[in-house]
Amino acid sequence: MPTLSLAPAELRLAELTEANQPSQLPLLTRIAGLLSASAAVTHLLVRGSLASGTADRLSDVDFIVGVHDRDLPAFTLALNDLMTVAGGALLPGWRDTIVADLGGIGFVFLVQHEGKLQQVDLYLAPASQIATVRRKVAGKVLLDRPPAEVAPEQTERATAYVSELLKRPKSCAELLIEHLVLAVLLHKRIRRGQRFIAYAEWHLLHCATKDLVKAALAPASRFWGWYQLREEIALTPIGRACLADLDAAITSPAVPDATDVEAALDRVLALTERACPDALDGLSDAITAYRTYLELA
Amino acid sequence: MEEAQALRGLSGQIAQLDRLDETLIERMRHEALTAPAPWKAEYGEFQSGGWWTTSLMNASGEAGDVLIADGSARSTPLLKHMPTTAGLLADLGLSYMWVRLARLEANAFLWEHRDYNELDQVERHRLHIPLHTNSSAFLVTGGTKVHMAGGRIWRLTPTYAHGVCNLLGPGRIHLIADVYADDAYDRLARRTQLHPSVAEPLPQASEAVLAERFAAARRLAGLGYIDAAEQLLLRLFYSFALPEGTVYDLIADLHTVLGDSEANQRWTTAKAKLLALAS
Repeated sequence: MPTLSLAPAELRLAELTEANQPSQLPLLTRIAGLLSASAAVTHLLVRGSLASGTADRLSDVDFIVGVHDRDLPAFTLALNDLMTVAGGALLPGWRDTIVADLGGIGFVFLVQHEGKLQQVDLYLAPASQIATVRRKVAGKVLLDRPPAEVAPEQTERATAYVSELLKRPKSCAELLIEHLVLAVLLHKRIRRGQRFIAYAEWHLLHCATKDLVKAALAPASRFWGWYQLREEIALTPIGRACLADLDAAITSPAVPDATDVEAALDRVLALTERACPDALDGLSDAITAYRTYLELA
Repeated sequence: MEEAQALRGLSGQIAQLDRLDETLIERMRHEALTAPAPWKAEYGEFQSGGWWTTSLMNASGEAGDVLIADGSARSTPLLKHMPTTAGLLADLGLSYMWVRLARLEANAFLWEHRDYNELDQVERHRLHIPLHTNSSAFLVTGGTKVHMAGGRIWRLTPTYAHGVCNLLGPGRIHLIADVYADDAYDRLARRTQLHPSVAEPLPQASEAVLAERFAAARRLAGLGYIDAAEQLLLRLFYSFALPEGTVYDLIADLHTVLGDSEANQRWTTAKAKLLALAS
């Protein structure tokens, strides 16, 4: 029997390749198409597991978005509207406090895509910073159209804008959204068995709960972090109930399971209802949808 | 008093008819989610994308024929895969003009519009049976938000300006039957109601809010996101009680500000078509 040696081109691999593409690829394509439709967007880099080829079905879609320095404030202001209307975001973006500082601002959006909840990270960086960003971050470049010119005053304004935004204290609604995003991250860690990262993010969730309690009940607090909570908060029945919730959070297991995360969400929603119900305005349908998607995941 | 009057007025636009057995609805839902339906996206100018229909009964007997027209409906092959649904339609004994399944995906909209303008001037009614829905899927008519919850038949009078959305998903599936008036319909429609709890009046939009949303649309358009800017304004219909056609006027105004007279004209024409306004 003669040996038949087939050249790779003769093998019909296209369908197989198509079937094995990461399920996030259509979402990545859609968001990349959406963002790049603006001339203000100068660069698009994909980073994380989708760039390195190690994505699984839980992987997020992670972009660095270069924006002309001149347009960065307007683009940042428009981002929630854009992602809600055209991106399918369930909630306003969470200002990402975990992401490394690359001279810009990170946002995390929870987006429904083909019946599933997906996480889309957008790190907006001024175009003038992109060369530096590319030296620090491994990623795949989807778009590279550097602006002809960025005036120094435009860079100055963009830098000042970023700095102001990062300094601004988070509102109760933003802190509630932070919980919802962190809970999605935690479910992912738990499913992957990433116990150390789950531990770290669980701690962040507790910190967010503490921040929510302080933003609601001691917004003018002069004390840093976890200091003087009892003295400032436990002055009223509402305050004592919130501290009891916080106590329940910090005495839960160090590494949570899915039930612990769900219980934490229930606790935080009840806490919000009690201490700062305005934060729930306009979010009730989104929270219902969020929980439905989590159940379907 | 005023509220009761408003509700009576609204019940001419949207009303609850008979309850349906829960297990029957469950079986119909299963059929709708699993039958080999050829979903079609028609009525592109009425929707954002994400509105899909497939026919169970129509004059041609073709499931993929979804542009509704007058005629005496017969079953399509798709209905043969849905025996529970076919049984209910037969039991109701109505004079069917068209019966469809309609799927509205998450973040999808049917913009403010009127229906039936292109059809014969005979008495007909539109019935909805929600099979799969969620709290962010709702109809807006007369400045009121109505979530058509499952478990019963609803009647919509689509000659009033109305719009439908599924803001957040998951997908919504309704069975929609357009029926001619006859004795069977009269019997079905004898007991109509609109419980106050299902009708949520939308707030009025203040000048300041409209100005802020218009500025947000301008910002998106200024960045080159024209479609998103238009959709942001179209979506105001689902958040505020606005005079009829306001969202189309706002989009036309946006294009005037942007110096695009062709787009202004296009939206002025679209408004007349979607709202069936006499030219």
